[in-house]
Amino acid sequence: MIYHFINKKYLIEVLPPKQDTENLEEDLEKFTTRYLKVINSGYCACITDNAMGYLSFQGTEIIEEFNLPVLPEQVIIHLNTFHRKDDLDNILHTCKLKGVKYLLVVTGDGSIRLPKLRPQDLYFTGVDSVTSVELIEYINREYPYTFILGVAFNPYEPEEHEFEKLDKKIKAGAEFIITQPLLGENLVVKKLIKNYPGIPIFVEAWMSKKLHLLSEVVGYELPENREFDPIATLRILHRLYPECGFYLSLLGFKTQYDLIQDTWI
Amino acid sequence: MRIVVCIKQVPASNDTKIDPETKRIIREGVKAILNPFDTYAIEEGIQLRERFGGEVITISMGPPKAEDILREALSLGVDKAILLSDKDFAGSDTWATSYILSRAIKRIGDVGLVICGKQAIDGDTAQVGPGIAAHLSWGQATYVMAVEDLSSSFIRVKRMHEDGYDICEISLPAVITVVKDINIPRVPTLKGRLASLKRDIPVWKPENINAEKAKIGLDGSPTRVVKIEPPPSRHTSSKRIEGSAKECAISLLRELRSRSLL
Repeated sequence: MIYHFINKKYLIEVLPPKQDTENLEEDLEKFTTRYLKVINSGYCACITDNAMGYLSFQGTEIIEEFNLPVLPEQVIIHLNTFHRKDDLDNILHTCKLKGVKYLLVVTGDGSIRLPKLRPQDLYFTGVDSVTSVELIEYINREYPYTFILGVAFNPYEPEEHEFEKLDKKIKAGAEFIITQPLLGENLVVKKLIKNYPGIPIFVEAWMSKKLHLLSEVVGYELPENREFDPIATLRILHRLYPECGFYLSLLGFKTQYDLIQDTWI
Repeated sequence: MRIVVCIKQVPASNDTKIDPETKRIIREGVKAILNPFDTYAIEEGIQLRERFGGEVITISMGPPKAEDILREALSLGVDKAILLSDKDFAGSDTWATSYILSRAIKRIGDVGLVICGKQAIDGDTAQVGPGIAAHLSWGQATYVMAVEDLSSSFIRVKRMHEDGYDICEISLPAVITVVKDINIPRVPTLKGRLASLKRDIPVWKPENINAEKAKIGLDGSPTRVVKIEPPPSRHTSSKRIEGSAKECAISLLRELRSRSLL
């Protein structure tokens, strides 16, 4: 993860095609073009896992199918807790085979078509459900010294509870943190940086102009007509969090990609 | 063993609209999906093939667009898919539909087991599976939550009840309808999905299955929908719990327990 800080390289979210797409081949081409663009620019491609609960194809199967290059410092695979056990094992196996080094482990967005992993699937007893903590423990147990695992931090959740959860994730073996999208200074994130000095922290920057879509995440109403300049906000976030890396979600590849080049100075 | 799985394309939306004239579901402009209960039927067919060998054929009656769900089934791993589509099939009620499906099963031949989802989420009748068994004069088990054993001559299943379950042994060939508890359906892989796009899906018409015209479509449907009304909305009420997080949690637990929800 140090690579991204030293080289000032963004983590850029890339969404794989949804399972119900009517233009699969077109969407796959779009995905591979974006993936290669990110890799060739030296950035890190972060491939989501059924984002927002939409059932999608897995990044690993697209990498495998199209033999896409995997540069260990430039790929992060998201992995949530909504999988069949055999699918989870397939994803991890392919990650190892392809040389994927970083996984972002999240409790996750569910899907009506997907069941949540059960404690017995991962050989746990005495827990009611599988969260990112159990998933991290499972991955480190089954694939020791193979992956570097990251976790999410949500500064909009009750603070005490969120830090308590984070402690458990770190104890389980998490080695980097990505926050929920920030729009400016956030005291909880400042505290996070202070409390975890040795752990790389990435601030999520919301790159969509549709700010109102964040209402549910931040827990208050963001009006639909509010003007929002993602690039300007990204520059502000750089000033506020000079010690952090940055994760760009919903980046516009046509309109914004070239504009982010000189934002991290 | 040859297993046939019957599937249906249904509107994705819960906000199903009915044509006031024909009393039929308006499908135009509504996104269509594989009936969710049928995903369990497909999964069970594939799992039985994995356990006991044989082949799985999936069939669906519907408009040409229903080919999409058959491709989905192929991408999940079924061996073959057949679409039953013809203007003469249109307007079939559950009896005529189950007749058409039963004719297709006859035409496929040498079928040991038919699997259906317990019901479709659009009509919610749960009649087609039993209807197929009636037309074929085969044994049937509905609401199957587990297949315990399968041989060339019988199947032993666990059937779900409100108060528990029973175990039935049925001679083959037979029809079963399955509930959600039976398995965890797989999702299509990219490889499977891409391969499915290249597969041919034959389209069968009444003459291909020797279906009698008088038994299909509106003419072959003894039931008529006389009136359709939305169900009365459920009365809901809310109760606000106040206090510290701990007090709220305790109150919530008490409340849930008092209503036998925990």
